[in-house]
Amino acid sequence: MTSRDVHDVLNLPSDHSGAPRPSKKQKTSAPRPNLKGLAREVQNLGGDNPIAIVPEVNFFKKRRFATRKPVAKWELKAFTNSARGDDGALVLRHWKRRTDDGAPPVEGAQDGDGQQQRGGGEGTPASEKREEKPEDSAFAKYNVKVVVPHYTEDQYHSNLQNNDWTKEETDYLLELAKDFDLRWTLIWDRYDFTPKPPGGGGDAANGEDTHTAVVPAPKQRSMEDLKARYYEVAAKMMAVQKPAQYMTRPEFELYEMMQNFDPEQERKRKQFALNTLSRSKDEAREEESLLLEVKRILARTERFNEERRELYNRLDYPATDSDINSFKTSAGLQNLLQTLMSTDKNKKRKSIMPGEGVSPSNNSGVPNSAVSETNPANRRESIAASATSNNHHHHARRDSDARTPATPADPTPTSAAAAAAAANKKKGGGAQQQPERRKLTQQEEQVYGVSYHERLGSGPTFRYEKINKLYSHKSGQQQLRITNALSELDLPPRLVMPTAAVTAQFEVLWGAVTALVDLRKMSDRLDGEIKIEEAKKAERDRAKGIAAEKEGEKEKGEGGAGDGAAAAAAAAAGEGEKAGEKTGEGGQTKEDGEKKRPGSSGSLTATGHKRSASVLSAASDKSSKRQKK
Amino acid sequence: MAQQPLPSSVQPTDVYGGDEVSAIVLDPGYINTRAGFAGEEMPKQVLPSFYGHITSSNRDVFGDQAMYPRADFEIRNYMNRDSVVEDWDAATKIWEHALVNRLGIPRPTPPSKNGLNNKPKPAAEGEDVEMADEADLDETENYEKPMAENPLLMTEAAWNSPKQREKAIEICMENWACPAFWLSKTPVLAAFAAGKATALVLDVGGSNTSVTAIFDGMVLKRSVQRSPVGGVWLSSQIRSLFEASEPKVEVVPTFMVENKKPVEAGQPADARLKTFDFQISPSFRAYEEERVLKEFKESVVEVWRGPGRYLAPGNEDYAKNLPGRVFEMPDGSNQMWREQRFKVAEGMWDDNAAFPSATEEGKITKAQTVPGLIKAALDSIDVDVRPALLANVVVTGSTSLLPGFTDRLNHELTAMFPSVKVKLHAAGLSSERRFGAWIGGSILGSLGTFHQMWISRKEYEENGPGIVEKRCK
Repeated sequence: MTSRDVHDVLNLPSDHSGAPRPSKKQKTSAPRPNLKGLAREVQNLGGDNPIAIVPEVNFFKKRRFATRKPVAKWELKAFTNSARGDDGALVLRHWKRRTDDGAPPVEGAQDGDGQQQRGGGEGTPASEKREEKPEDSAFAKYNVKVVVPHYTEDQYHSNLQNNDWTKEETDYLLELAKDFDLRWTLIWDRYDFTPKPPGGGGDAANGEDTHTAVVPAPKQRSMEDLKARYYEVAAKMMAVQKPAQYMTRPEFELYEMMQNFDPEQERKRKQFALNTLSRSKDEAREEESLLLEVKRILARTERFNEERRELYNRLDYPATDSDINSFKTSAGLQNLLQTLMSTDKNKKRKSIMPGEGVSPSNNSGVPNSAVSETNPANRRESIAASATSNNHHHHARRDSDARTPATPADPTPTSAAAAAAAANKKKGGGAQQQPERRKLTQQEEQVYGVSYHERLGSGPTFRYEKINKLYSHKSGQQQLRITNALSELDLPPRLVMPTAAVTAQFEVLWGAVTALVDLRKMSDRLDGEIKIEEAKKAERDRAKGIAAEKEGEKEKGEGGAGDGAAAAAAAAAGEGEKAGEKTGEGGQTKEDGEKKRPGSSGSLTATGHKRSASVLSAASDKSSKRQKK
Repeated sequence: MAQQPLPSSVQPTDVYGGDEVSAIVLDPGYINTRAGFAGEEMPKQVLPSFYGHITSSNRDVFGDQAMYPRADFEIRNYMNRDSVVEDWDAATKIWEHALVNRLGIPRPTPPSKNGLNNKPKPAAEGEDVEMADEADLDETENYEKPMAENPLLMTEAAWNSPKQREKAIEICMENWACPAFWLSKTPVLAAFAAGKATALVLDVGGSNTSVTAIFDGMVLKRSVQRSPVGGVWLSSQIRSLFEASEPKVEVVPTFMVENKKPVEAGQPADARLKTFDFQISPSFRAYEEERVLKEFKESVVEVWRGPGRYLAPGNEDYAKNLPGRVFEMPDGSNQMWREQRFKVAEGMWDDNAAFPSATEEGKITKAQTVPGLIKAALDSIDVDVRPALLANVVVTGSTSLLPGFTDRLNHELTAMFPSVKVKLHAAGLSSERRFGAWIGGSILGSLGTFHQMWISRKEYEENGPGIVEKRCK
C-alpha cells in the first residue's frame, strides 16, 4: 500500500497527478521462447535483441497431395428453367459439383414427379440418372412479372369506354405494358398501333366503307396519353374489383395517385425539363448562383427572426421582485401548486407562438404576488404543456406530472433570482424546442395515423355524449328548433352509430344547423324591426303628406303612392328650382335603388344607417334561405 | 494468402449470377465475324467477313490465311455496308466454318464413323476448307447437326429487318439444330459489356457508325441513328488525302512488293513489284489496299482533341507544330504526316472539314457526323431519360480507338449539353472496344437468369420463325 493507493481509494488528487502511474510489472520483452541447452546460451548472447534463428528445413515444400481429399467430381447436369413456362421443354446442361453418390436419387424422390419415377424404375441405374427430371434452375425465382389490369368485354363496356380509345387499342396498350413491364419509355418507343380497317367481318354493311379504303391514320400518342389511358383503366378496374372504401392504405394511395394523374401537368413538367436541358452554361451558372443567393437570404432572415424573437422574450420577461416569503413554508408551496394547477386547467389551451412572448399565465386570475413569484415554474409548465398539447396530450400530462413534484423544490433555494434565471434558461430551451418539433404535413399525418383532438376529460367518455353536450348548451327553444331542422333532414337527434367520422360529420352538420337557426332568429328580429320602421315611416309620410298638400299637387300624389324611390326620382326631377344638394341626394338614393323617401338631408343620413341594416338583413335572409335549401 | 484465388471446389459458382451452359456467341460484322463460347472474355475466333471466291471452281474459301493472290480469285463479303447480312448462303457457310471448323464444337460422331471409318477422312487442308458439295450424305447429315448441344446467341444491327431475323433463326434451327437461340442487338450487348442497362451507345464500327439509346436493356427504336462514318469511310478519306497530297501517294499493297530499298522521306519508292501470271481481281486488290490503309489508320490518324473544331481559327496552325508521324508504305516510300492526320478524321465531327469525296456515298451531311447522330438520337426520345443516357455514354467499336476520339467526344458533348452531366464509358482495353458486342453477348449468354429467355427448339417448331419477332424485342 503506497500513499498513491490511498489517494486513489479516497479519490483525492494526487500530488503529481500529471505523471502517469508506472505499471507494476513492466514487461520488458516478449515472452522468450523456451530454449534449452546451447540454443539458450546462444540466445542469451544477443541480450535484449534476440538473434533470429531460422530453423533448418530439409525439405522444399510440403507435399501437396499428401493430405488432400480425392479430386472433386463435377458432372454435366441437365436442368430446366421453370420461369420459361414451357414445362421444361428446353433442357440445358451445366457443370455442377457432384454431390454424394447417394444424394441425387434422394433429391429425385423428393421432387421428381411420379412419371419420371416410373421411367427411372424401369431403366438401369445408369439410365435412371439420365431420365430423372432435371432440376429447376436456381435462377427461376428471379422471374418477376408486373400485374396488369384485366377486364372482360362487359367490364370494358360498362366502365372503360372512351371516345378517344377503341377497345382494340386499349388491349394493345395493356399488352405492351405487360411486355415491357410498365417501362413507359419503352412502351412509348414501341407503340405502333395500326387500327384494323373497319368492316373486316360485316362486309355487307360496310361495303361502301371498304371501297373507299380509308385506313385510319394511326394516332400519334404521346407518352402522357398512354399513361393517362393506362392509369384510367387501371384505376377503374381497381375500383371495380375492390370499392375504394375497402382498399388498404397502400392500395388506396395507388388508386388515388392513378386517378389524379394529370397528363397536362406531366407535359408541362417535361417542357420545363426540356428547357432545363437546353439552357446554356451561363444560364445554368446564373441559376445556380441565384439559388445560392436565395438560400443565403433565407438563412439570414431566419437568423434575424431568431434574434428578434430572443429579444422579445427578454423584453417580455416579467420581473420577479415581489415578496416570496409567503411561499417559503410547505403549506404556502402547496397552495401555490394548487393555484398553478387550477390556472393551468382554466387557461385557454392556446399554443404560444415563440414570437408572441407574453405568457398566458400573466392573464390568469391568480393574485398578483403569486403570479410574479411563481412565474418561473408556472411559465415553464405552461409552455411545456402548451407546446405539447398541440401534438400529444399524454405527453403534456406526463410532462406536467413529472414537473409538478419538482416545483416545490425550485423556489425554496437560497436565491429566487437564481431559480428565475434557471427557469428563464429552461424557458428559452422550451421556446427553442418548439420549432424543432416538426409540423407534419397532411399526408404524413395520414401515414402515421396522427390526429389532433381536444383535451380529453378523465375517464372514458362516449362520443354521443359530446353531442349531448352540444345540445345542453342551448336554450330549450333552440333545442327544439334544431331538432326540428334535423328531423326535417331525417336525422335522429341521437346518432345510431357514432363513429369518429360520423361524429365529426354530425358536428359539422350540427354547426350548420345552429348557424341556420341563429340566422333565422336574427332575420326574424330584423323583419320585426323593419316592420316597425315601416309603420313609423307610414306614419311620418302621412304627416308629411298633409304638409305637402300645401306645397303642390304633384308631390302629394307621389307621396300618397308610397313608392319611395319613385318619389325621390320624381321629386328630384320635378323640383328643378329646389336646392342643389337635395337633387344630389335624390340621385344618390336612386342609385342605391332602395326604398327611400324624400326628406331633409338630416333624415336621409339617419335612414342611411337603417338602410344598411336592412340590406344586411335582406342578405342574411337570402343566405338563410339558401341554407334552408 | 488472401489474394490467392479460391480453389474451384470452394469457389462459389453462383455469386455473380453466372450459369454456364456452353452457349455460343456469334457476332457478325462487316469487317469481322466474331465467335466464341459464352462466359469467356474474348471471342475465340475472329475471322474476316470477307471471303474468297474462286470463280473457276466455284468454291469459297474463308479465313485470313486463304487470302493470298491466286487465279480467278475474288474477294466478297457476305455482309453489306449496313451491317446486315446480304448473302445468306455465304453467311451460312462462313458461320459454320467459324463455329464448327474453327471453334471446334464437339459434335456427336455418327455411328458409321465411330472409330470404324471405312475410308480415311479427307485431311483438313489448313484453313482452306472447302464446303463440300461433293461430300457424301453421311457427311452432310453430320454437318447438319453440328451444334445440337450448344445454344446460340447471335447479334444483329439495331435496324435489322424482321425477314433477316427470321432467316437467322431458320439457319440456326434447321441447319445446325441448336437447342436454343437468341438474337440480340449489338448496342444492347455493348452496353452490357460496359455494365450498363441504360446507356447511349456510340458504336463506331468498320462500315458504319450508330448511336442507339438503350433503356433497361432494350433498344429505343426511335433513337436509332446511323451513318456511314466508320472505318471504311475513314479509309476513303485517307484515299482522298493521298490524292490531294503533293506528290500523290500511291497505295501499293504488300503482296505486290517483291523487294524494296530504303528511300528518303518524300522520295519516290524504289521497289520491285511482283508480276503475276494471272489476273489480280480488283476486289482482291481493294481488299489488300484496305489492309494498308488500316495500318495507316492505326498508326498515323488521330482525332483532333478539341476543345473546338479543327477548323476553328488557330487550331490548324497549332496542329502543324505538333510532332508528326512517319508512315512507310509497303513499297518503301515514306512521308511525315503532320496536320493531315488530324484533318482526315475531322470529317467525323465536322462535315465541312471532310475531304471531298469522289463517290456519292462518301459525302456526309451534318446530321451524319458523330455529334449530329447523338443529337438526333437524343432528340427523338423522352426528356426524362436523356440525363440518364448522357451520364452513361458507352463508346465501342474499333474505329473509336483512334487516339483522341473520346477526348473529342467529351468536348463535343459537354459543349452540346452544358447543363447535364456527361460521362463517357470507353473501355481502356482495345480488345474490349473491338469486341464490345461480343463480350456483352458472352456475359448475357452465361447469366443464369438469361436461360429463361432462350427461344427453344420446341418453341421454334411450334411457332415457326416468326417467333423471333415476338420474343427478341
